[in-house]
Amino acid sequence: MSDDYLDPTDSVAVPRKTAPRPASLDGKVITLLDISKAKGDHLLDRLEALLRERARPKSIVRKRKPTFARPAPDDLRHEIVGATDVLVEGLAD
Amino acid sequence: MPAGDSDLDEFFVHGVSDGLPVVPPTRARVSRAVHASGRDAGELIAEVPPNYGRATVEKIAVNAVMAGCRPEYLPVVIAAVEAICDPAFDLHGVSATTNAPTPLVVINGPVRSKLDINCGAGVFGPGWRANATIGRAVRLVCVNLGGARPGVVSMSTFAHPGRYTYCIGEHEEVSPWPSLAVEHGFALEDSTVALLAADSPITVYDQRSRTAPDVLATIARSLGVVENHKMTHWGDTLVVLGPEHARTIGDEGWDKPRIRRFLWERLQRPVYELVPGRDGGDGLPEHVLRKFPRPETDTTLIPKFREPDNLKIVVAGGTAGRFSAVIAGWTFARGSRLVMRKIATL
Repeated sequence: MSDDYLDPTDSVAVPRKTAPRPASLDGKVITLLDISKAKGDHLLDRLEALLRERARPKSIVRKRKPTFARPAPDDLRHEIVGATDVLVEGLAD
Repeated sequence: MPAGDSDLDEFFVHGVSDGLPVVPPTRARVSRAVHASGRDAGELIAEVPPNYGRATVEKIAVNAVMAGCRPEYLPVVIAAVEAICDPAFDLHGVSATTNAPTPLVVINGPVRSKLDINCGAGVFGPGWRANATIGRAVRLVCVNLGGARPGVVSMSTFAHPGRYTYCIGEHEEVSPWPSLAVEHGFALEDSTVALLAADSPITVYDQRSRTAPDVLATIARSLGVVENHKMTHWGDTLVVLGPEHARTIGDEGWDKPRIRRFLWERLQRPVYELVPGRDGGDGLPEHVLRKFPRPETDTTLIPKFREPDNLKIVVAGGTAGRFSAVIAGWTFARGSRLVMRKIATL
């Protein structure tokens, strides 16, 4: 019998990588996702104003998760993935 | 993972421990646990959020061995893993939140005596292998299969000591009422786990009350401050009645629905007391405040808990001492609910 120990983790689960960052926001579709924390809209309103002031995105889209307590629903995720170049997920409180 | 001279240190290096030394999961130990479950090693029980690692019987057994479980505890751990991976438990949120919840395992039924699970004196404390290691195994599954590493995925500001282990039995033998399991539709001969995404217990001290309304009025005050004194519309929360308090209430003929109703009604407060900036900066959220033209003077009552049924009642602890405890769940809108599973016994 081997003295080796069995692995308590799932080796199939791999750490997720962050998406590559664009060099410029000009001409990009930017989605601002409010996760439904209190005052998340204040934060994203300000961010949207700054983005319009400092970059020339093609458009800025606002989306909202139904609750911060759970992951975004699949249909919302698919909608964002299919239609956006850059995603900013906003918190606040 | 190869065994080495400093084999216990290896588990810390790999980040698969909870900070305490673990029992090395040799193939022999893991096989004994799998065998005791009566299931195939490769059977998939669940995928554990938020990383969705595959919790096969063998993977759960590895973590249970590391936690120090005896082989015969494995069916309890498997049922607990099933429960926390039910979408209603919202383990994704529970494991990632800045709040402090952790799965609390409440065990009902004959398995309590069979496995020597503590339901009595010091029920939340140390000294019983089953309680200590079943709760610990659930935590290790959350970390090793769910990815809930502190500061990486688990962003809890404080966490709490129950994240090492958090497992109790209901003291059914001294309870005046049907158990939590029977209340939820299980048979007396069933053994079950109930999983709550639980904060730490708040002890309620009341040595002098001798009537049901008096004891419950004291307990209501402690329930009123869970999360904060102005939090409203909270969800599943556990009321752990100590046996002496339970007897006082039960002797007057009160049943659990009446207790819940009494507590729920006392735990309503007028809007004007819940306005942010009055007695603390927190309070009703903006979308609720908008419903009231003059919240500063509005006397509409807002409940602390959404429904009386959110107050889950168990009897536990030693038979001496007039104490109870309240344990808040993590229950934001669409957040975690109490989830129960029957334990598959051989």
